[in-house]
Amino acid sequence: MLARLKARGAYLAIAPLLVLVVLAPFDWFLGDYTTLLIFMGIHTMVTVGLCLLMGYTGQVSLGQAAFYGLGAYGSAILTTKYDVNPWLAMVSAAAITGAFAYIVGYLIFRLKGNYLAMATLGLGLVIVILFEQLDGLTNGVRGITGIPRLSIGDFVFDTAFRRYFLVWFFCLATLLLAQNMVRSRTGRALRAIHGSEAAAESIGVNSAQFKVKIFVLGAVFASLAGSLYAHNVFYVSPGRFGFLFSVMLVVMAVIGGLASIWGAIFGTAVVRLLSDKLLIELGGWDMIIYGLILIAVMIFVPQGLFVGLRDTYERWRLRRTRRGAVT
Amino acid sequence: MSLDLIVQSVISGLSQGSVYALVGLGFTIVFTVTGIINFAQGEFVMLGGMLSWVFFRLYGVPQVPALILAVMVATVVGALLYLLAIRSARKASVVSLIIITIGASILIRGIVSEIWREDFVRNGTDVVRPPYFTGENPLHFLGASIEPQRLWIVGTTIFVAIALHLFFSYTMVGKALRASSVNRVGASLSGINPRTMALIAFAMAAALGAIGGIVVAPQNTTYVEAGLMLGLNGFVAAAIGGFRSQLLTVAGGIGLGILEQFAIRVDWGPLSSGYADAIGLVVLVLVLLVRSGKLAAQERAS
Amino acid sequence: MSSSILETKGLCKAFGGLTAVDKVDLSVETGKITSIIGPNGAGKTTLFNLIAGVYAPSSGEISFQGESLGHAPPHKRAALGIARTFQNVLLFDNMTALENVMTGQHPRSRYGFFEAALRLPKAHHEEETISLKAKQYLNLVGLGMYADRNPLSLPLGQQKLLTIARALATEPKLLLLDEPGAGLNALEKQGLSELIRRIREMGITTILVEHDMDLVMGIAEWVIVLDSGQKIAEGTASQIQKNKKVIAAYLGDEEAIE
Repeated sequence: MLARLKARGAYLAIAPLLVLVVLAPFDWFLGDYTTLLIFMGIHTMVTVGLCLLMGYTGQVSLGQAAFYGLGAYGSAILTTKYDVNPWLAMVSAAAITGAFAYIVGYLIFRLKGNYLAMATLGLGLVIVILFEQLDGLTNGVRGITGIPRLSIGDFVFDTAFRRYFLVWFFCLATLLLAQNMVRSRTGRALRAIHGSEAAAESIGVNSAQFKVKIFVLGAVFASLAGSLYAHNVFYVSPGRFGFLFSVMLVVMAVIGGLASIWGAIFGTAVVRLLSDKLLIELGGWDMIIYGLILIAVMIFVPQGLFVGLRDTYERWRLRRTRRGAVT
Repeated sequence: MSLDLIVQSVISGLSQGSVYALVGLGFTIVFTVTGIINFAQGEFVMLGGMLSWVFFRLYGVPQVPALILAVMVATVVGALLYLLAIRSARKASVVSLIIITIGASILIRGIVSEIWREDFVRNGTDVVRPPYFTGENPLHFLGASIEPQRLWIVGTTIFVAIALHLFFSYTMVGKALRASSVNRVGASLSGINPRTMALIAFAMAAALGAIGGIVVAPQNTTYVEAGLMLGLNGFVAAAIGGFRSQLLTVAGGIGLGILEQFAIRVDWGPLSSGYADAIGLVVLVLVLLVRSGKLAAQERAS
Repeated sequence: MSSSILETKGLCKAFGGLTAVDKVDLSVETGKITSIIGPNGAGKTTLFNLIAGVYAPSSGEISFQGESLGHAPPHKRAALGIARTFQNVLLFDNMTALENVMTGQHPRSRYGFFEAALRLPKAHHEEETISLKAKQYLNLVGLGMYADRNPLSLPLGQQKLLTIARALATEPKLLLLDEPGAGLNALEKQGLSELIRRIREMGITTILVEHDMDLVMGIAEWVIVLDSGQKIAEGTASQIQKNKKVIAAYLGDEEAIE
């Protein structure tokens, strides 16, 4: 009974979110912020993968920006240099990124140790180097321009208004897919690993394999987001996909909540607003604030800020109903 | 490949690798005593070099005291990192600790960047070079030129390595640290306070990093973001040592340094020297491959 | 067709200089309730973990249903039909009691990420089966009314029953119980004994490592005694109670005789 009520409550929370998403790009509502909202949608796709990864494998990836970049460059190169259909390019880039993530994940998760953070850091650095060095393919530091718009038949996603809905369609679809997965047998296995890896193994869950799968999933989400980025800005260059962006994504995930899906929107929104509205300069203050956020949240709300807030709200609500029952 | 290219690579590699070895030792010590991978390890190297320049160039402190002060400040930062950030995170999961140290690393970078922002602007760049220890005129040996600073780097590292060995083998504190690293519970049952040990480990790691920093900065210059690559390469050195063996860590660091120098000087097929930075990751992948194979074999054998 | 479901030959496990299990040969008869006992430090837990796949043997072999287990990790053994419980419980506190038991169905279900993400009918159908079977196992151990509770809100005795339900959900042929009676009161131990007998009636072989002699003597049909890593005796409960070697081994360990 309680479970069913909880589920309905969750849907009630999502309804206003959906209304917001649908109304946002209209000029009379939040039209001025459409570009910001587009980026929020794109980045949420990357963040949710990271949230799941950190929540269920207990390791941190500092290379999500690299997978994002692979998706962006993959789409850019395939569509501009080889005239591939943009949708096909997006899927291909995601497949390549996924395969790549599988190799990395396989190597790392078989070991008992926290190699992922450093390994993905190194990976991120190398991939940026590749973007800069493989001049013939990527145009080096100059970047690739003239990336085509996405379209379905005659309907072209060119205006910000249309692109907004495209991005948020993908974003919400990603979140729903993730949600369905978490509620399923796979999700139970992941939660089991999170609860007690030894016990999970004892009931037939190959924890290493699951961790790799979650890592690949996150990489694929990031790649799709990167492709969407390419088809929204129509230009890619190596600079955007470096360490700083990876750190920003970790901050988004930490604020959103480890193992949280819908919290990813919250985390992404907070960091995006912070970075776009408050921290205009790319100076030391960005680093200081992000660093403090990471440290403070992990000390005081280690499940992640959004999750922590939600749990506190739940506890407060429980206390109120109990008090109400007594009187 | 000419002889002087080989000699040059080896010599430069020895000095570069020594720094990686020191960083790697920092990682290893903290990990064996506390089980934490301190992401901010690389930043201590940056702090060492950066602070020695700041004290000498900006605040007029004479060279030698500036060096000592730089190491001391970095050590205090390391201790503070443990006391404020890590000790406060009670019952923290592994993820939390990793994120905390990542946060600490960018926090340190941000603070350095902001405190001396105007000085960097006045300097034209944030790439700074503290003064050489004994001058910069290179000596000549076997057709290669050796900058004296490199000798300082290697010499300091050897000295530090020996000092560490003596410390761990013959002093009470050192032995207590070793006990904690082998068996934390057992050590605490013998009256060794694990928190004190952790504090010492962090402080030591910071000092090691800073020493590496003060000795390499005159040679390589240093800049705010320097900690990133140094940390990564030091991590690879520690990974080669399995986060256990100090000897292998040092050997790994030096090996990595030499390999990197060769990669910078030689174009290998389609890979130009621009890829030299990636050597660290390639080695890491190899280490992971070997170790995951070894791990499986170990399980079979044990 | 051998009637022994599990056999070990020359099984050894050494940790550094310490030999925890020393050339143990044993054979567990299919369908019987077998107990492994021995004074503290006898190597029972190590032997248990060797069978469960947590440790790899230093030498020797374990075969399950006639096939060598080799170095199969625990998750593979669960798929083969070997389930286990833990001395320190290890329930998943991030899901309900029923979901805990549902996780046990993992090796007996198939649908994966795609079917789940896209909510295909195959996923839905399997979920129903999983849910149904889990409820049955939960009822079997008598915890049916706690389906939606958080496992940590249950007292220890019931938590242990829950872990047995979870292990049973893997539909094992061999069930390994690690000190199931530890921390239980007399009434709970009685319930446990009855449950183990019911499990036997389901055709599942049970091996339990246990300290409580009353519990063991009450339900075990075969007892294997270890001391210092070696098997020193085996037989029926009454035979073991009279065995001089066993008594001698335990005289050095007063607590167990109580």
